[in-house]
Amino acid sequence: MTVQPEIGAAPMLDLQDVAMHFKSRGRGFRTTTVRALDGVSLTLDRGETIAIVGESGCGKTTMGRVSLRLLEPTAGRVLFDNIDITEVKESRLKGFRRRAQGIFQDPFTSLDPYMTIRQIVEEPLVIHGEGSASERLERVEWALEEVRMRPASDFLDRFPHLLSGGQRQRVGIARALTLTPEYILADEPVSMIDASSRAEILALLRELQERHRIGYLYITHDIATARHFAPTATVMYLGRIVEQGPTADLISNPLHPYTQGLLNAVPEPDPANRLAERPVLPGEAPSPANVPSGCRFHPRCPVFMAGLCDVVEPPLVQVELDRTVECHLYGEEGQARAEQDATESVSENA
Amino acid sequence: MRPGEALRVVLRSGSGRLGIGLLAVLVFVSLLVPFFYPLDFGLRFWNNPIAWADNPKAAPPAWTNLVGDQAPRHRVFDAESPSQTVETGPATTRLYSFTFDHDSETPPTFLSVSVGEVSFYDRPPVISMSLARPDGLTATILQEVVRGQRPDETPPVSRFADEPRRIFLSGDTNALTAATDFLLQEFGLRLSEAEIQGNLEAALFGTPTSSDAPEFEPLTGEYTATIRVITYDSRDAVESVRFVAAGGVFGLMGTDTQGRNLATGLMFGFPVALIIGISTSVAATILGTFFGILSGFSGGRTDTIIQRVSDVMTNIPLLPILIFLIFVLGQKLWLVMTILVIFGWPGLTIILRSMVLQVRSGQLVEATQALGASRWRIMFRHVFFQMAPFIVAQMIFFTPAAILAEAGLSFLGLGDPSLPTWGQILEQGFRTGAIFIGYWWWILPPGILIVITAMTFVLLALAMEPVLNPRLRETAA
Repeated sequence: MTVQPEIGAAPMLDLQDVAMHFKSRGRGFRTTTVRALDGVSLTLDRGETIAIVGESGCGKTTMGRVSLRLLEPTAGRVLFDNIDITEVKESRLKGFRRRAQGIFQDPFTSLDPYMTIRQIVEEPLVIHGEGSASERLERVEWALEEVRMRPASDFLDRFPHLLSGGQRQRVGIARALTLTPEYILADEPVSMIDASSRAEILALLRELQERHRIGYLYITHDIATARHFAPTATVMYLGRIVEQGPTADLISNPLHPYTQGLLNAVPEPDPANRLAERPVLPGEAPSPANVPSGCRFHPRCPVFMAGLCDVVEPPLVQVELDRTVECHLYGEEGQARAEQDATESVSENA
Repeated sequence: MRPGEALRVVLRSGSGRLGIGLLAVLVFVSLLVPFFYPLDFGLRFWNNPIAWADNPKAAPPAWTNLVGDQAPRHRVFDAESPSQTVETGPATTRLYSFTFDHDSETPPTFLSVSVGEVSFYDRPPVISMSLARPDGLTATILQEVVRGQRPDETPPVSRFADEPRRIFLSGDTNALTAATDFLLQEFGLRLSEAEIQGNLEAALFGTPTSSDAPEFEPLTGEYTATIRVITYDSRDAVESVRFVAAGGVFGLMGTDTQGRNLATGLMFGFPVALIIGISTSVAATILGTFFGILSGFSGGRTDTIIQRVSDVMTNIPLLPILIFLIFVLGQKLWLVMTILVIFGWPGLTIILRSMVLQVRSGQLVEATQALGASRWRIMFRHVFFQMAPFIVAQMIFFTPAAILAEAGLSFLGLGDPSLPTWGQILEQGFRTGAIFIGYWWWILPPGILIVITAMTFVLLALAMEPVLNPRLRETAA
């Protein structure tokens, strides 16, 4: 009898200190390095959902692409089921490709407009040489029914442009589903869909998760949908994870100044607040080609500590059992500074 | 999309119906040609003046008689056996009679007598000809003896086997003398040979109106030309006799100054034009598409090499290269086509590469990569189809470009002499000055055919749009 590795013993997807740097030609002979990801670690298990939240340009999409091995990371390792897929040749990735799938942001461009729905959903099966034509058709119909496109036969011979945005995205989900993957990267799956269909798509994804025990990496810039969809959330800023924890806690009690700023930017549907001036993060996120020293958030940070934040990289602090934050406010040095400042101000007052 | 469905979509538009109709005509005519033409048509017939000797020169099409002056019709009489044989002693006279109704106010443009494949034993045969006119007079206008036996020849002596002996009456001294005698005897009109030379046909097919000048009134009615061949041995043979009263109009499309039937040349141009256009554009498009997608999708060194090669190719001026290579390697059609392909693909490659760059970074490629599709599958199953409407449009647009390039080269006199094309016919017309003399039937048809063929492909390109672009199709429906 062979020894089966115990499920859950190792995380399904394990990103270890992953960095992704893009080199681009600058002016003259200089090359600039864009540090889209700069030392990111994350684990995801079967049946689990982690939301990755951040502004555009923070590296969340790059992280998703690295997790699917659409990009080969510059440094660090990507493990899938304890197998290192970081530097495996594309031709030897077939097994991984079957088990990991992606749902993409734009349902208008991620489906081939020259293929019928049937061809689109069938494509993964064709690529992986699964089954006979009739078996594949059966599988396509099954996947379409799974995403509530019923009856499937109504949709088989249509072209994507005949469908609504929500329907197209469901076709995208059906395509990801045909091979019954264990991991699905959902890269802003609802951001380009009408508000009316969003909840429906997310509910569908969750239903499929329960039925097939799929692990989702849910990339979004919208904290509101993250709260409904993902129990755990990760906040990214300029290529690094700055805060991680249960989504509800993260929203009710954001620790990192950036998370606080991000949440403040979400408008509240209360007319009483319409004239209230809300604190807004000053400036824009710097370009990842020109990352600030020390804490990369320090130029915009409202609680910036000179001499510390712009010099020393902030430590990763485990605040609670399931919460981590990367900020000097919670590090030893920062705490010491804060105490010192407090005593100084007391003595000044005295 | 199934072919039948595609055809229906194409036929829905007016330009599609017209394009398909024109293409059907082009293809139909092209398919007929191999059945009726020998493959060496160009060398054996088209560029061989002897083949066209009996045709009127620079005659407009026959249907021009429907308007304006009545030009005489072109009449050719062939006989293999005599209509009458008279035996007088050892001599046999073969009589070949041809009766025809001359109803035009103008005389035939020329008269010719041909005798082919004569063989004799004892004495050479004698050929003569007479013309019986509607006014009851008969003019004997030809007397010729076949060249006799040479010392090194043994009977039977064969003459005119490869090519018939063709006598143009207005160029034959005996005929001119005979005609002068005829006019003096019957009408008392004395003319010098120089005066009769240009007026032989008018004299034979008319009545003199003055007593000292070559002026004639046309005489219409029934004429009978009789050709006599006298042989002196019972074994002597004459295989064919032909009499031509050349008309002022000819056939469907008229003739050029060499007497070539333009209809046959134009018809032969159909398959040649289609083959040049379609095979050149298909080959150039396949190459251009392959390298364009490969270049855009691969990036890196492959991309750089393909793009630099394309840049060099597109910046070499095509026409001088074509002219140079034709001078070096000879006037061959396949050479022109090969050069057009070699210099035709880089343009498409450069454009396609830029289009692929756009698609490559798109979500479709990312999504397909995530499914585990191979590079080739992404390139030629997905990226290719994104470009397909453009590629097909380019291919169809390149077709007339190739036809026009060949026409242009032919017009410069660099056409392949073994294959007549519309461009060559145009060029010969232009060189002969047909435009200035007013031989419109020589210039207009090849020009119009080139335009129509080019237009056919443009119309098809327009009609193909909704087939290849599903988005367009549904809004149109």
